[in-house]
Amino acid sequence: MLKYFARRILMLIPVILGVAFIVFFLLYITPGDPARIILGDQATEESVLQLREEMGLNDPFFVRFGKYAYNLVVNQDVGKSYVTKRPVWDEIMTVFPATLKLAGSSILLALLIGIPIGIISAIKQYSIFDNVTMLFALIGISMPVFWLGLLLILLFSVKLGWLPSSGYTTLNAMILPAVALGAQSIAIITRMTRSSMLEVIRMDYIRMARSKGQDENKVVFKHALGNALIPIITIAGLQFGRLLGGAVLTESIFSIPGIGRLMVESIKMRDFPVVQGGVLFVAISFSLVNLLVDLLYAYVDPRIKSQYK
Amino acid sequence: MRKKISIFLVGVLLLVTALTGCSSAKPEAASGAESTNGSEAASGAETTPAAPAKDTLIVATGYDAKSLDPHATNDVASSNIMEQIYDTLVVLNSSNEVVGSLAEKFEVIDELTYKFYLKKGVKFHNGEELKAADVAYTFKRATSPIGGSIAHIVGDIDPEGLEIVDDYTIIVRIKTPNSAFLPSLTHKGGGVILNEKAVEAAGDAYAMNPVGTGPFKFESWAKGDQIVLTRFDEYYGEKPSFSKMVIRAIPEATNRTIELESGGVDIAYDIATNDITRIEENKDLKIIRKMANSTTYFAFNTLKAPFDDIKVRQAIEYAIDTETIVQAVWRGVGAPAVGPVPPNIKYFNNALGKPTYDVEKAKALLVEAGYPDGFTAKIWTNDKKARIDMCTIIQNQLAEIGIKTEIQVLEWGAYLEGIKNGDHEMFMVGWSTQTPDPDMSLYGPFHSSQKGKNNFSYYDNPKVDALLEEGRKLADSKERQAIYEELQTIIREEAPWIVMENSETVVGVRSNIEGFDPSPFGYHVLYNVTIK
Repeated sequence: MLKYFARRILMLIPVILGVAFIVFFLLYITPGDPARIILGDQATEESVLQLREEMGLNDPFFVRFGKYAYNLVVNQDVGKSYVTKRPVWDEIMTVFPATLKLAGSSILLALLIGIPIGIISAIKQYSIFDNVTMLFALIGISMPVFWLGLLLILLFSVKLGWLPSSGYTTLNAMILPAVALGAQSIAIITRMTRSSMLEVIRMDYIRMARSKGQDENKVVFKHALGNALIPIITIAGLQFGRLLGGAVLTESIFSIPGIGRLMVESIKMRDFPVVQGGVLFVAISFSLVNLLVDLLYAYVDPRIKSQYK
Repeated sequence: MRKKISIFLVGVLLLVTALTGCSSAKPEAASGAESTNGSEAASGAETTPAAPAKDTLIVATGYDAKSLDPHATNDVASSNIMEQIYDTLVVLNSSNEVVGSLAEKFEVIDELTYKFYLKKGVKFHNGEELKAADVAYTFKRATSPIGGSIAHIVGDIDPEGLEIVDDYTIIVRIKTPNSAFLPSLTHKGGGVILNEKAVEAAGDAYAMNPVGTGPFKFESWAKGDQIVLTRFDEYYGEKPSFSKMVIRAIPEATNRTIELESGGVDIAYDIATNDITRIEENKDLKIIRKMANSTTYFAFNTLKAPFDDIKVRQAIEYAIDTETIVQAVWRGVGAPAVGPVPPNIKYFNNALGKPTYDVEKAKALLVEAGYPDGFTAKIWTNDKKARIDMCTIIQNQLAEIGIKTEIQVLEWGAYLEGIKNGDHEMFMVGWSTQTPDPDMSLYGPFHSSQKGKNNFSYYDNPKVDALLEEGRKLADSKERQAIYEELQTIIREEAPWIVMENSETVVGVRSNIEGFDPSPFGYHVLYNVTIK
C-alpha cells in the first residue's frame, strides 16, 4: 500500500513538468505584453522596454522555459508575481483558504443531500418522490451558477434579508455560495447514487439477503449501498477536484477572493508566474484528490485493496 | 461492509472539517478583518440607527488595489487607497489651483527650477519626521526604472537636479520646461512622498506595507477581499472623525448596491445605471454624481487608407449620431464629449459643441473622397460591454453611408498589443486625463513622438506638435489658453478621433454619510467624511 502511494506521488513529477510546459507555451503564444499591461496603458515606451529586459521577456522561449523548469524542480520555486512582487506561493496561499472553504462546504452539502435522496429514489423507483427529485436533479444540473446565485441573493439577501450577499468569513455568508455552487454537485451525486443503487439492488445477492429475512435497512445500507459506493466516490472525487480549481463565477458573484478570481485577474494582467503557479497548484490538487479517491476505493472494496501492491 | 461505509463517511467528514478548519488558521490580517466584516455585514441593517456613532467607514469598490507602492502601479483602485494613506507636496484647491500641502509654500525660481519649503513636524506612520531627504529619495526612486508606471507623470524630474538646501527645503529641477509639472505633482501615486527608511526596510514587501504621512495608516490587506486602514493619530492636519476604514473589493455592481441597501457598506462606488433609480427611491440612500476626466473615443489608424484621408474621417464623424449612442448605451449617465479635453480640465473648449449628425453631408464627403460606394473595414474594441454596444450602433450607422464594418472584440492585453503594432483600422478606446492639465489630455494621444505609444491613431501634424510643445513651456495665461483651445479645434476638425463620451462617476452613499465629494480623477477622498 505504502509502495503504491509512493509510486503515485512520484508519478506527479512528470505530470507537473508536462502541465508546466503546456501552460508556459500557451502563455508564450498569447498576445499581450506583460510589461506594458503592468505599467499601464499610459506608460512611456522606454519604461516598457526597460521592464521587458528586466523581466527576461526578451529571451528565447526555451531559455525562459529552461530557467523556469530548473527553478521549479531544483529550488521548488515558482517565482514571484510580476505585479505584487510577492512569491507566487504566498499569493496562492492567501486565496486558497477561501477556495477550500467553498469547495469543501459545497461537496459536503452535495454528499449529505445527494446520497440519502439518491438512495430513497432508488428504493422507491418511479414513485412520486423519485419523479420529483429526478426533475429537480435535472434542473440542478441545467441551471447555470451565475443565474442561481443571483436568484438566491435576490431572495435571501434582498427580499428576506436573512443572509449576506457577499463575503466568506462567517458561516452565514458561506450558505448562499455553497448552495449555488453545490447545486450541480448535489444533482449529479443524487443521480449517480440512484443509478448505482438501482444496478446493485437487482442483484441476486440482494434477493438472497431479503429472502433469508434480513432487515430491510441492513439490506439497503450494508449490502446494497456498500457495493454501490465506488461510482459515487469516483464522481464525488471528480466534483471536489473540479471545485478546488476555483469557481470563478461563484467567486465573482459572492465576492469571494478564491483561486478562480486570482487566476482570471492574473491572466488579464499577464502575470505569468501567478498563472503558471496557479495552474500547477490546481493540477497537483486534482491529482492528490484522485489519489485520495483511489485510496478510498481500497477501504470500501477489499478486492481493490488486494491489487494495491 | 457497514464498517467500511462508516469509515468512508467519517473520512469525508474529517476531510471537510480539516479543510474548513484550515481556513480559520489564516494570517492575522485576515482574521482581524473578519470580525469587522462579519459583524457589520450581519448586523448593519438593524443596528445602524440605534448604535452609538459608528466609528468605521466601510466602502465597496469594484477592484482590489494592485500595489500600495505608488511607484509600482498606476491604477485607480490603488490610487484610491493611496489617497487616504499618502500626501503630496502640493494639492489642487476647489478652484483647481495648485496650493501647498506637505510643502508649506513653493517658489518657481525659473522655468526649470522649483523650490519647496516643507512643513515642519510632519510625521510618517512609522514615527519618522518628514525631511527634504525623503523628498529627494522619493523623486529619485520615481524617476528610476522602478517608477515605470508613473514615468509619464513625473518623468520630467531630473534626478541629478535634486538639491537638499536644508532639512525642510528642497530644490527640484526638471529636464525641459513644462508648466504641467506642478499639477502633475498632485497625482496620487506619482506625486506622493515616501519615507526612505520604510521603503528600504521593507524591500519587495513595501507594496503590501506602505508608510505615508496621510490621515490613515495601513493596517491589513486580505488580498482580493478588503484593505483595513486605521486613523493616524499624529497626522499633522485635521483628524478624521472616525477611526477605522475598510475598503472592500466587490466586483459585481449589483452586489455593491445590495450591500449598500442592507447596510453592509456605507459608500459604494461605480453604481450600475440600472440601480440608480432604486437607490434614489430609497430614503436611506442617496446618489452622488460627478463628471469624470475620462473620454471614450472612436478613432482611426490614420496610417492606413482610407483613414489617411481627412474627408473620410469627417464623413464618418457626420455619419455617427453620438448623442443618441451615448443616451442609448449609458442611459443618462455621462455625457456626449465635446473634445479631447474633458470638461473639468482647464482650457476645456466648450465652444466646439457636440459632433453634428448629418448623413447627407457624410455621403457627400465620401463621394468627394472618392468612395461613393463606401468600403469595408474592421472595428476593434475591447470586451467592455458599453464599448461593444457603442460599436454595434456605430456599425449600423456607418452602413447607412455604405461603409460595411466587422466588429472584432479583443481581450485587453491582445488589444493593446494590436493597436501598438498598428494592426487596427477603426477602434474604440478611452483616455483619462490623470493630472489636472490639458497637456495630459493631449500630448500623449496626439503628439507625433507618441505614435504607437499613446498616440494610437498615429496622428502626425507638425502644427499640432508645435502647439503642444509651446503649450508645455508657457505659464498659465491667456496665451496658453488660446493654444489649447486652438489644439482642440484642430483635432476636432481633422478628426483623428471622434470623441464619444465623457464618463461620470456615480457613487451610492447611505444618508448618514456626509461630506463625501467624488473626485473627477476616480480616486476619492474618504478621510474627511463624517458618519452621523
